[in-house]
Amino acid sequence: MFDGSPEDHIPVPAARTSAWRPVTQESPLVRAVLIAVALGGLAILVVAPLIVVFAEALAKGAGEALRSLAKPEALSAIRLTLIVAAITVPLNAIFGIAAAWTITKFDFRGKAFLITLIDLPFSISPVVAGLALVLLFGTNSLIGGWLVAQNFPIIFALPGIVLASIFVTFPFVARELIPVMIEQGRAEEEAALTLGASGWRVFLTVTLPNIKWALLYGVLLCNARAMGEFGAVAVVSGKIRGQTATMPITIEMMYNEYFSVAAFSLATVLALLGLLTLALKTLLEWRHADQLAATRRH
Amino acid sequence: MALALRLQKSPMPGFGLGMGITLAMLSLVVILPVVALLARGVSYGPEAVWATINTPRVWAALYLSFRLAFLAALFNLVFGSLLAWVLARYDFPGRRLIDAFVDLPFALPTAVAGIALTALYAPNGTFGSIAKSLDGKIAYTQWGILIALIFVGLPFVTRTVQPVIAEIEQEVEEASATLGAGRFYTMRRVILPMLLPAALTGFALSLARAVGEYGSVIFIAGNLPMKTEIAPLLIVIKLEEFDYGGAAAIGIAMLVISFSMLLVINLIQIWSRRRIGHV
Repeated sequence: MFDGSPEDHIPVPAARTSAWRPVTQESPLVRAVLIAVALGGLAILVVAPLIVVFAEALAKGAGEALRSLAKPEALSAIRLTLIVAAITVPLNAIFGIAAAWTITKFDFRGKAFLITLIDLPFSISPVVAGLALVLLFGTNSLIGGWLVAQNFPIIFALPGIVLASIFVTFPFVARELIPVMIEQGRAEEEAALTLGASGWRVFLTVTLPNIKWALLYGVLLCNARAMGEFGAVAVVSGKIRGQTATMPITIEMMYNEYFSVAAFSLATVLALLGLLTLALKTLLEWRHADQLAATRRH
Repeated sequence: MALALRLQKSPMPGFGLGMGITLAMLSLVVILPVVALLARGVSYGPEAVWATINTPRVWAALYLSFRLAFLAALFNLVFGSLLAWVLARYDFPGRRLIDAFVDLPFALPTAVAGIALTALYAPNGTFGSIAKSLDGKIAYTQWGILIALIFVGLPFVTRTVQPVIAEIEQEVEEASATLGAGRFYTMRRVILPMLLPAALTGFALSLARAVGEYGSVIFIAGNLPMKTEIAPLLIVIKLEEFDYGGAAAIGIAMLVISFSMLLVINLIQIWSRRRIGHV
């Protein structure tokens, strides 16, 4: 790419070099102002809230923060969130692979409509999603009433939280895989098939190695959202202390009860998870950019 | 299922399994619940749905949610595009680190963002105390809600526009300059039109996200009926009162308004693509 140094193009007398500027660049003053606005805005809007999380958690010292994390309420919330993510993320990965395989390896009518349906959860409020799940599986609905009679309640229990988490993370893996698999085409799989490989063998030895980084990328984003989801889970969980209160829900309860240090300490754990996600995501973008989707929107 | 109509025979295996898993998950998690929501509205009756929505408190909440979401998306459209330009075109120390930080609102759970923003903008917080010394108030007002909505939607426009800027061939800008256009004119008449479709996509994503946002808003909003009560909160309140019909009515209203807005944005996008002729 054009690196902006004038010497590459036209020999310019040394005395004029400092004043010379390519026509495709803004003046140094404009650049400086734009950079300052961008960095200043980002610092106020994004970095400041992150710093506050750590500062508030440590307001009464690191010992107090750690003690609040060791309380049963916090521990059970961490356990529940890990369980929810451990169920949600694999299910979402399986769905994402299945959907991407179906959409990219076959031609069928209604494909565009299917993609629209997969993207639908992005344009539905998490609270409305939770409400819809309550109306379908709640005790006074047809299915929900029957399931409660079978001693398998969904709403105000773990399955509801998992369903809500899957809803809000629904397109993450599929959206990451589809562009990558379209780009890679079908030729490699077809070659393997003509050489006599079984369907599973083709998937495991040809497709999976090609999509592994994109899959990991999707899984990372899915995990971050699953562990942090608040709106949809707040509606379906019933917020039962020690039973259906995930980490974000517990943060809300602690905050509303004025246990600021406890709330921000638990928030710190989630913020660190977010930073770890960002770091791994950035690493993937640097190392394996060629094997990820070119444009990402999530 | 009608979707499974195959047009071409393919040697590739796994269509049945893949489509089966896809449709099963889609039905269980997305389609059936949304159908249950709509069915609840039907069984509640159109008059009852309208009676629920047509109250000053619900109108105020819907107006607040959509108005502030629009303003937040508008801010993100401008600031996000500027950020994309700076990150794609200029080189300065720490650029890659800052580029990574743009995505923080996606990685930080909304409840965490909510209490952090509240701590920051409350009257005794770092920014809140500055506002207080100027006789202003941010947290527990509509300004607080706007800041939370800007936060959650911030990365969308930058992430859709940045790759387009990277792909712009500089010959186009050079051609514009040799034809006598100043830098500002080139920006306005050559570069901005090329960025518009991508920027609109980011705007739509940011808007959709902000309209439904709950976690980051409820802490900073103050939640006063008619003043700082957002539409998703009204749904939660109705559910806590076991008024499922009323909750479904507001949920359906939100769905209808969101989809109409996204449809309009899509039409504008098609129009702008056609006008420019490429991208």
